[in-house]
Amino acid sequence: MLKRTLPLVTLALLGGALAAPKKVTGYGGLGVVDGKPGGTYTLVLGDSPQSLNYYGVIDNNLGLLAQQMFDGLVEFNYASYKVEPALAESWVVSPDGKVYTFKLRQGVKWSDGQTFDADDVVFTYDQIIMNPEARAGDAANFKLDGKPVQVKKVDANTVQFILPRPSPAFLLQMRSFIMPKHRLLKFSQEGGAKPADINNAWPSNVNEAEVVGTGPFKLSNYTAGQKVTLVKNPNYWKVDGRGTKLPYLDRLEFLIIRDPQAQVAQFLAGNVDQLNISGAQFPDLKQREVSGAPFKVMRSTALFGSPPFVAYNFDAKDPALAKVFSDARFRRAMQSALNRDRIIDTVYNGLASLPGHGVAPVNKEWYTNTTKQLGTFDLKAAAAALDALGLKDTNGDGVREISRGKNLEFDLTYATDSSVYPAIATILQNDFSKIGVKVNLKGILAKNLLSTGQSGNWEMILHAFGDQPDPELRKPIWQPGGALYYWHRSLMPAQDGGKPNLARMAPWEKEIYNIFDDAATTTDRSKRKALYTRWQLLFAQNLPVTPIAKPENIGAVSNKYGNYIYNLGVIPGYNPVPLIYQK
Amino acid sequence: MLTYTLRRILGMIPTLLIISAVCFAVIKLQPGSFTDQYLEDPRFTRETAEAISRQLGLDQPAIVQYGRWLWGVVTRLDFGYSFLQNRPVVSVIGDLLGWTVFLSLITLLFSWLVAVPLGLYTAFNRHGLAAGVANFLGYVGLAIPDFLAALLLVALVLQLGGTNVGGLFSPAYIDAPWSWARVADLLKHLWIPVLALGLEGVAGLMRQMRASTLDVLTQDYIRTARAKGLPQHRVIWRHAVRNAINPLISLAGLSLPALISGTIIVSIVLSLPTIGPLLYDSLINKDQYTALTLLMLSAFLLLVGNLLADLALAWADPRVRYT
Repeated sequence: MLKRTLPLVTLALLGGALAAPKKVTGYGGLGVVDGKPGGTYTLVLGDSPQSLNYYGVIDNNLGLLAQQMFDGLVEFNYASYKVEPALAESWVVSPDGKVYTFKLRQGVKWSDGQTFDADDVVFTYDQIIMNPEARAGDAANFKLDGKPVQVKKVDANTVQFILPRPSPAFLLQMRSFIMPKHRLLKFSQEGGAKPADINNAWPSNVNEAEVVGTGPFKLSNYTAGQKVTLVKNPNYWKVDGRGTKLPYLDRLEFLIIRDPQAQVAQFLAGNVDQLNISGAQFPDLKQREVSGAPFKVMRSTALFGSPPFVAYNFDAKDPALAKVFSDARFRRAMQSALNRDRIIDTVYNGLASLPGHGVAPVNKEWYTNTTKQLGTFDLKAAAAALDALGLKDTNGDGVREISRGKNLEFDLTYATDSSVYPAIATILQNDFSKIGVKVNLKGILAKNLLSTGQSGNWEMILHAFGDQPDPELRKPIWQPGGALYYWHRSLMPAQDGGKPNLARMAPWEKEIYNIFDDAATTTDRSKRKALYTRWQLLFAQNLPVTPIAKPENIGAVSNKYGNYIYNLGVIPGYNPVPLIYQK
Repeated sequence: MLTYTLRRILGMIPTLLIISAVCFAVIKLQPGSFTDQYLEDPRFTRETAEAISRQLGLDQPAIVQYGRWLWGVVTRLDFGYSFLQNRPVVSVIGDLLGWTVFLSLITLLFSWLVAVPLGLYTAFNRHGLAAGVANFLGYVGLAIPDFLAALLLVALVLQLGGTNVGGLFSPAYIDAPWSWARVADLLKHLWIPVLALGLEGVAGLMRQMRASTLDVLTQDYIRTARAKGLPQHRVIWRHAVRNAINPLISLAGLSLPALISGTIIVSIVLSLPTIGPLLYDSLINKDQYTALTLLMLSAFLLLVGNLLADLALAWADPRVRYT
């Protein structure tokens, strides 16, 4: 990619302000062909956007819109998920791994015609993303060992990031959307506002013309509670293989439909052109497709997306339970009573596969094959393993005793308002009871799962965290003592950012802790790979949490459109929509 | 009459104050906090969540938060700030108020226009076959929840190959300027929510109307009127209906708060831009000032509805007098 764009860079320099568009080619393997311009594409939003300022609210619906209106310096390749140039045309990392110098693409214009340059990049990072008061900013990731990353404008088309220490995953942070300085200055500290004022920029009733981006589409209209319309940004900087300007589509319409059934109804009625669906909706739609309905249902193995897991509370209130739960032998024994095949078949309609340990199996770059360590469903073996731990049923009531007169009985906290958790919880409860482990189901709302987890007020929990292309991005989850490593809360540092309680870590936890610390600063790719391989094996062996399944992504798209690649969700730097065309 | 009205209006103030305090307490007693969603996201540290709590004043004691909100309402009619949408609650509600009022009024009108004549008919012909059928349908209407009725209607339309399966407009007309074509498109979509929302009301009102008409028909003054030889239509319209309709006026007053909370599920199922789902969202997310303002609005409408019903009763029923 870099080699191909280099001649263009020279051309741009010769021609002064000559645009250097990015040619999007090489996706024949994904079925992408040259399209033709024109057309309207209708999608759904699960709810109204809470604001139009990406850094002001955490909102997936806004994320879907922002993805179409803004770009980052780098983006993912649609096929390999490798990082490639976007608003930055090329970059150089200094040999010590601390200085990243980005050469910006020349001739890129904001959707209002203003020129995009280094000032916008510095402004976005310095004034918004690193602003600790920005509600959806990312200040914490731009502080390494307590010292901030510096952003410097070198010249109008060059920006430099100076890191206090090497950070090999830093490039992935550069996917953050760049915002227009000329529109947002007045909400920033630089423009004389208070730090928290940035959150007030672009509320959902903003004048549409105020919202300016470099993305393929720009905001045209928002009708409260009903629809958001985006129109083609004529200044977009990507072209297809033949040099046709992208995006192909003229308009992108998002209907606001909250109910999943209503979304399907609108899709069947032809008012919606593409819909992401769940495993439960798959059979019905697939059957309609087979019997001639004018759409296709596509499945794709997922990289992003959240594989559910069960966790046992190492610090459970009941000391006997805490002792058993923190024993890896117990967790392995219980894994043998976990019927993954049945869950994949009945809960996901077969639209899921075996999970990895912290890394999605499709993530070729980092995944280590740990399928063997997942074990097989074998209740006899599970029962024998529990016997070996001394957890036997001595009074003949069908439930094992954890100590004299006290049953091995605990609560399983799960979300009742999810399409998969209740069914999984029931299957677990049922199978566990067959080996004399009594599980009581305790349903809560999905949105309270994490806060319940972090409160420590639970015994066993069913939850999920999403996968990412680089394990470094999931450090707070999988590094013992991290902010989200909540099944062993007693490891957490007394103060945010402090050192976790190393003394309380099990040897394998300490090893994982060191792996994440080492990998965060190791620049040599093969060394990092070796570290993360070791981590996955330790994870699979000791099961800090027990992963259950990796759901697939399923989408349905009208036959009127071509070049559909499954939309993986709201991931900055991954946006295949510009390639979609109306046949 | 005027003093009575004034007294009633003044009486609302302490009532609303107590209601607001209770509502705020209930919202605060829910587990979790608005900033939980920030903890959910691995990009955020606890520091960020704390900074946001500070920005929103959530680090203050609950009583201070309530006091500030109340002071804002009393002094500047400022109903606070929506945490979710980063703008004043009033503007958030304002966005949806128009369609909410429109839908409620048209549904109310529909249910009255259908229910009152049907109720009268079934009362006067209570042994007829048609009345039996109407009664039976009334029971069915009462038994089917409105969202289920909506889903059934949508499924029916879909089965028949229709495309108007939710929302108030086809996608192309949502943000189009008003035109006859847009009105036609609205009418094509409007019947499903009106039917779904109105059906339950029709059933209830019809039965109420029938019961009170039957009640009235046994009264002495009806027999007197009949004995005097008044023609049947004068007996019905001048004496029976005028008296039988009193309980319905009270019911109508009580139905005003349904503007806010009555349409939550139907609005979600049919993607209608009404206030119902906003209340749901604000309660779920602990967007406290939005929730509080909506609950207050609901309480206020209930009080106003009651007052209006009482005044209407006084007008409709010569026996009711306020001094």
